[in-house]
Amino acid sequence: MSVEVGTELPRLAVHLTRETAVRYAGASGDFNPIHYSDFYARALGLEGCIAHGMLTMGTALRVVTDWAGDPAKVRSYGVRFTKPVPVPDDAEGALVEFAGRVTKVADGVATVAIDALCDGVKVLGSATAEVSVD
Amino acid sequence: MPISEAHVGKTYPPTQPYLVTAGKIHEFARALGDENPAYAGAEPVAPPTFAAVLAADAWGALFDDPELDLALSQTMHTNQKFAWRRPLRAGDEVVATLTIDGVRARANTAFVTIAVLLATTAGEELCTASSTLLHTWPVENEEEA
Repeated sequence: MSVEVGTELPRLAVHLTRETAVRYAGASGDFNPIHYSDFYARALGLEGCIAHGMLTMGTALRVVTDWAGDPAKVRSYGVRFTKPVPVPDDAEGALVEFAGRVTKVADGVATVAIDALCDGVKVLGSATAEVSVD
Repeated sequence: MPISEAHVGKTYPPTQPYLVTAGKIHEFARALGDENPAYAGAEPVAPPTFAAVLAADAWGALFDDPELDLALSQTMHTNQKFAWRRPLRAGDEVVATLTIDGVRARANTAFVTIAVLLATTAGEELCTASSTLLHTWPVENEEEA
């Protein structure tokens, strides 16, 4: 595949629902109830449940691994959790849209900047992955 | 005396070994809605951020250390970074070792940076998972705030 600075990765749009949150809680072992119980979320001053930050981070990386094919090519990945993703209790959940673009290529490693938007709000900051492209 | 710069460099004993299994990898990939074939079958690799599951095992040491006065319920996870040597895969027996890398405390809050090294029980390094945690202690008297 041809990779150069400015290459745009295929976009990804994902609905994160309460079911997604419960599945991620079980799979990750992070059972903080603010992710599946409005009662506990409100007790913390939130309007309702929010997605696990690691669920958003893990889903965002699919932009890179879907593109690279082999997940073993991912060398590093970092994010800032800038805004929570509210997950309403309905069939649609939260629609999160991910995009990626190559910002650097050197020594067989591409640096990809990832955008993650929910309702037009940036939910991850400085999301960057390094991936082997040789 | 809560956590302070004096704790930078402190390392905790490794966690109990965790055996990565194909079933757990399938479950984690499904939770991410990720159908990458590398995560399927009898000998899968784990999705890269599965490393967070094992790293979080090591966080317990931080909250169990009475010297630090930290509580998970008063902690926000603000930054996360991973650097992998190779993917985790089914059959890996992994231990996680946590080191306090940085502390910035002021008033009733502290930013704590930790690095968790994941390695096999045979000593092969797999991944470093670095996190920044923002801890807030309750303010008992508003005048102190």
